Amino acid sequence: MASVKLTDVKKVYDNKVTAVHDFNLDIKDKEFVVFVGPSGCGKSTTLRMIAGLEDISGGTVEIDGVVVNDLQPKDRGIAMVFQNYALYPHMTVYDNIAFSLRLQKVPEDQIYEKVTNAANILGITEYLTRKPRALSGGQRQRVAIGRAMVRNSKVFLMDEPLSNLDAKLRNQMRAEIILLRQKLDTTFIYVTHDQTEAMTLGDRIVIMRDGFIEQVGSPTEVFERPRNVFVAEFIGAPKMNLMETKLIKEGDQYFVTPFGAKIEVTGRKAEELRAKGISGQSILLGVRPEHIVLTEGPSIGAIPCKLEVNEMMGSELHLHVYTEDETRLIVRVPTIDLTSEARKRLVYGTQLFITFEGKVMHFFNKENNLNLLYA
Amino acid sequence: MSVSKEVNAAPVKRHMGLRASRAMANTGIYILLVVISIVWLIPFFCILLQSFRVESTWQVGYVIPQKWGLDNYRNLFNTDFPKWYLNTFIAALVTAALQTIIVLCMSYTLSRFRFKMRKPLMRFMLILGMFPGMLTMIILFRVLKDLGMVQANAVPGLILVYIASSGMGYYVSKGFFDTLPKSLDEAARVDGATRFQVLKKIILPLSKPIVIYTVLTAFMGPWGDYVFAQYISFGTSSGMNVAVGLYNWLNQDQIAKCYTMFCAGGVLVAIPVTVLFMCLQKYYVEGVTGGAVKG
Amino acid sequence: MKTYSDLEFLKLSKGQKILYKFQRFFAAIPTGLKNLFLGIGRGLKGLGAKVGEEAKDIITTFVHGDWKTKLSYLVMGFGNLARGQILRGLLFLLFEVVFIGYMVLYGAYWLGMLPSLGKVGPTKSYNEIYDVYVTQYNDNSFKILLYGVLTIFFIIAFIYTWRVNVKQNKLAEKILASGKKLRSGREDLRSMVDDQFHKTLLALPMTGILIFTVMPIVFMVLVAFTNYDGTHDGYYNNLFTWVGMDNFNTMLSWTSGTGSGTQSYAATFGEVLSWTLIWAFFATFTNYFLGMFVAMAINKKGINLKKLWRTILVLTIAIPQFISLLYVGKMFAKNGIVNGFLMSMGWIDKALPFWEDATWARITVIIINIWIGIPYLMLITTGILMNIPADLYESARIDGANAWQQYSKITLPYMLFVTGPYLLTSFTGNMNNFNVIYLLTGGAPTNAAASSAAGSVGYTDLLITWLFKITTGAESKYYLASVVGILVFVVVALISLVVYNVLPSIKNEEDFQ
Repeated sequence: MASVKLTDVKKVYDNKVTAVHDFNLDIKDKEFVVFVGPSGCGKSTTLRMIAGLEDISGGTVEIDGVVVNDLQPKDRGIAMVFQNYALYPHMTVYDNIAFSLRLQKVPEDQIYEKVTNAANILGITEYLTRKPRALSGGQRQRVAIGRAMVRNSKVFLMDEPLSNLDAKLRNQMRAEIILLRQKLDTTFIYVTHDQTEAMTLGDRIVIMRDGFIEQVGSPTEVFERPRNVFVAEFIGAPKMNLMETKLIKEGDQYFVTPFGAKIEVTGRKAEELRAKGISGQSILLGVRPEHIVLTEGPSIGAIPCKLEVNEMMGSELHLHVYTEDETRLIVRVPTIDLTSEARKRLVYGTQLFITFEGKVMHFFNKENNLNLLYA
Repeated sequence: MSVSKEVNAAPVKRHMGLRASRAMANTGIYILLVVISIVWLIPFFCILLQSFRVESTWQVGYVIPQKWGLDNYRNLFNTDFPKWYLNTFIAALVTAALQTIIVLCMSYTLSRFRFKMRKPLMRFMLILGMFPGMLTMIILFRVLKDLGMVQANAVPGLILVYIASSGMGYYVSKGFFDTLPKSLDEAARVDGATRFQVLKKIILPLSKPIVIYTVLTAFMGPWGDYVFAQYISFGTSSGMNVAVGLYNWLNQDQIAKCYTMFCAGGVLVAIPVTVLFMCLQKYYVEGVTGGAVKG
Repeated sequence: MKTYSDLEFLKLSKGQKILYKFQRFFAAIPTGLKNLFLGIGRGLKGLGAKVGEEAKDIITTFVHGDWKTKLSYLVMGFGNLARGQILRGLLFLLFEVVFIGYMVLYGAYWLGMLPSLGKVGPTKSYNEIYDVYVTQYNDNSFKILLYGVLTIFFIIAFIYTWRVNVKQNKLAEKILASGKKLRSGREDLRSMVDDQFHKTLLALPMTGILIFTVMPIVFMVLVAFTNYDGTHDGYYNNLFTWVGMDNFNTMLSWTSGTGSGTQSYAATFGEVLSWTLIWAFFATFTNYFLGMFVAMAINKKGINLKKLWRTILVLTIAIPQFISLLYVGKMFAKNGIVNGFLMSMGWIDKALPFWEDATWARITVIIINIWIGIPYLMLITTGILMNIPADLYESARIDGANAWQQYSKITLPYMLFVTGPYLLTSFTGNMNNFNVIYLLTGGAPTNAAASSAAGSVGYTDLLITWLFKITTGAESKYYLASVVGILVFVVVALISLVVYNVLPSIKNEEDFQ
C-alpha cells in the first residue's frame, strides 16, 4: 500500500533511442492505474523501470516517498506478474508461490498458510503439487498472480498479464482481476495494449505513444474528452470516424459541413465552443461509429455514401461505407433497429444516407491534431 | 459398367505405382545405409580383431587373426601405457570439472547481463580465436617449465593449459542460456533473489542438458588431444597422455613391434569414452544442434 | 555497376539474376573493406576523443574536488578511507604499494632491457683449479621479453585502476553532496553476488584468457620481429634480439637459392596456403552435403531402425579421434589392410600409393575426412531438418514441386540460411584442422623442393601443421612459426570478415524466424 511518483523519468537505450520521454505521474495509494498504448510506446519500459528491471536513464521513481532508482527490484516492495507468466518450470505450483517467502526465510508453517490461502482465493488448491507444464494458460496465470500475492507488496505490477490468453478466458480473468483488486486493496499498475482492458480495469488510464504520455484520466474522461486525435482513435471500438471539414460560425450557432451536408452543433458541445469563443475554421471532425445513424435522404443533414462491407456482429452491424470522395467511415447499427428486409438490402454498393447529432461531435485542430475544447 | 471400371482403374494403377516407387526408393536407401554402416564400422572391427592377434605384432594385409590371444593386452602393462592412461584420466576428470565451471560462468554472464564491455568483449574473443592456439604453446611450454609443470610433471601443466582459456568456448552454452526466458530471471529478482540466487535456484536446475554437454565435451577433449600433450610432455614417457604415447608406437622404428599393442591400447581407451558418450548421447546431440544453429 | 530496382530485378532472366547477385557480391567487397577501414579510423578517432575527455575529466575532478580527492591522486584509496569505505580504500592502497614495489624492484629492469632484449650473452671463463671452461649465464632474452610484456600489462592495469580511483572520488563527492550514504564494505561484498555478480563470474575466466591466451599471443606476435630460434634461445647459447621486419621479408620473398630444397619461402607459403584453402573448401562442403544427404536418408518416412543407423554413425564421434585417425591412416599404408585386401582379391597387382603420391594423398585425406565428418554433420542437420516447418513442404507439394524441387527450393535454402555462420566457423576450423592431417599423414609426402630450413614441408601439410613442424623441427625457428601464425590469423580474419558481411543470416536475421 503505497503511492508511486514518477518525476521526469526517462529511458535512453545504448543506441541512443529514447524509449520514454520525461514521464511524470502521481499514483495515489490503492489506485489502479493502467498504462495503455500501441506496442513500442514505452509502457512496458516504464513499468520495468518502476520494477527495477530496467535502468532509469533520468528522473526519479519514488515508492512511498522513497527514491528507489538505485534499489534492486527485491528491495522496492513490489510484486510483478509477467506477460508469459514466468513460472519456474522445475518447481511445483506450491514451490513457485513459496519461492519469495523462502528467500525471506519465512518459517515453513507460515509459508504453508500463506500459500494455501492464496491458492484458495485463486481456486488453484488442487494443482499445488503440479508442475507449471501440466497447467492450462488460465491456471498458469493464476499461479503467477498467486506468486505475486503472497509477497504482501506495496505495489502490484502487471505487464500484459492477459495477452497470452484466448478471448473467452481473457474476459473471465479480467473480471477476476477486478475481484482480486477488491481483496488485495493495494496499488496496482497495469500495462496493456488493449483499450477494453484499460477501460474496464483502470481508475485512471495513462495513454502513451512513442514514449510520450498522450493523456491521463479516468475511463470516462478519456472516452468523452480525448485530448487529441490519437487518444480519440485509440479509445473505443470500432475506432472513431474522422472527417476533414469546416466549422462554421453563424452568429451564435456553429455548424459543421461534412461532405456537403450541414449539421448544427448542439447541446453542451455548442456551449463549450461558445464559451471558448472558437471561430470558424478547418477542422478534423470526430464522430464515434455508434453515434452515426442511417437516415432517409437526401436532405440537408444527410451524407450520401455507398456500402462497402457489412459485418454482422450479432447484436449489431458494423457497416463500412465510403463517401463520394472515398473517405471510409464505420457505422454501428443495433441489429434490432433494422427489419430483416432492410438488412438484406445492405449489400455491396447500396446507396445509404447517414447523419449524426450535433451533441456527439469532437473537434480537432487540423494542424496539431489537438482537441479544440479539451487540449 | 465397363466405362466406369476403366475410370476407376486408372487412379488405382497410379496409386500402386506410387507405392511401388516409394518402396523401391526405400530399398535403395536401406542398401545405402547398410553399406554406410559397414564402411563406418569396419575400422573398429579391424582394430578390435587385430588387438587379439598374437602371431605377429606388425601390420599385415589381412584382418582375421590366425592365432587369438590376450598377449597384446598383457603386454600393455609392461609399458608406460597404464601411466599414460592414468595421466589422461586425471587430466580429463579435472578438466571436466573446472572447464565446466568456467564455461558456465562465462556463457551465463554473456547471456544474461548487459554491461558496457559485453559486446567489445565478445568481439575481442572472436578475434582472439582466429590466432592459431598452437602458437602460444612455444611460450607456455617455457613458462610451465619454469614452474616445473612439464615432462614427468606434465599433468598439472596440461590441465592448466586445457582450462585456462576455456572461457572462449562459451558459444554453445550461451546459445542454450539465450533460450531460457529472461522473464524467469526477472521474476526471481522481483521475488527477492540476488543474481547469485537466480543462478543457483532458477537457472542451474534448468540447465541440466547443457551442463552435461559441457562436462561430456570437456571430459572427452583430453582423450583426443595430441598437440598440447606432445609439447608439454616433451618426449618424457611418464608425462605423456594416451594420444602421444600411442602415436609414438606407430613411428617407423616402433610400428613393427607395437602395432597390435596400439590396437589393444586403442580399444582400452575407446571403451570407457564410448560407453560414456553413448549414455549421454541425447545431451550431446542437443548441444551440437543448438550450437550450430546459433553459430 | 548498374543497380536494379526490385521490379527491374524481377524481370531479369534466371542467368542474369545469378550474374547480378555475383556482381553485387564482389562489388560489395571494396565498400565493405572501405567501411572497415573507415570504421577503424572512426574507432581510433573516437578513442582519441575518449582519451581527451578522460584527461579533461581528471583535471576538472582535481580542480573541483575537496582535499580528500586531491590527495587521492597521489595516495590511491585515500578518499575512500577518509570517507569510511575502508575495504575499497585498502584494496586501492595495497595495489598502489604492490605496483610501486614491483616497479622499483623488478619492473624498471625489465622495461629498461626490453629495447635491447639483453646485453650480455652467456660467457665462458677459464677455471684454473679444475682446468675447464665454465659457462656463465647472464641476461635472458626470453624472460626480458616475457616480463617486459607483463610489466607493460601491469602498468596499463595500474593506470586503469588509478583512473577508477579518481572516478570513485568524484562519484563519492557527488553522492555525499546529494545527502545519500556511500556503500559500506559489507554492501560492496554483497553486491558482488548481486548487481556486480557479472564481474565476479567473469573474473576467473577472464584471468585465464588474459594470462594463457592474450599474453602469449602478444608475446608471439613480438617474437615474429626477433630472431628467436633454436640457436638463439636467449639464455643458454645466444641472446636473441629485435630484427624488425626481416622475418616477414624472408617469408614473403620470392628469391630462391640454387639446387634442390631451396625453393623460396614465398613459393612454399603459397603452395601450403593454396592447399590449405582447397582442403578447407572440400572438407567443409563434402561433409556438409553428404552429411545432409545421410541425415535425410535416415529421416525419410518409412525407414525403420532410425535410431540404429544414427547410433552406428555416432560411434565415430565417441571414439577419440587419434585412435580412429591413426588406425585408418595405417589401413591405407603401403602394407596396410586396404592394399592387402585389394591385392588378395586380385584387383591390383601392386600397392596403391595412398600416402606416397601427392595427389593420391590429398584425395585420400579428403575422403577419410568425410568418414570422420559425416556423423557429426548428420547430427547437426538432423536437428535442423526437423525444425523446417512441415507446412512448407505441404504447400510446395500442393504447388506441384517434386522431391528434387522440394530439396533445392526449400530444404537447401533453409539449411544454408540457418547454418551459414556454422559453415564459416567450420571452414576456418578446417583450415586449422591439425588432428586430421597430422595424425593421418604427418604432412607426407615431403615436398623435396621446399627449403628444409622451413621444416620438412609435405604436400598435405596445412599452415597449422607446417607451423607445428617448424617449432618442433631441428632448427626450431620460432620466429618463422610466429610469422606463419600471424599470416594464418590474417587469412582467417579476412575470410571471416568478407563472409560475415555478405552472410544473409546475419544481415536479415528475421527472414526465417
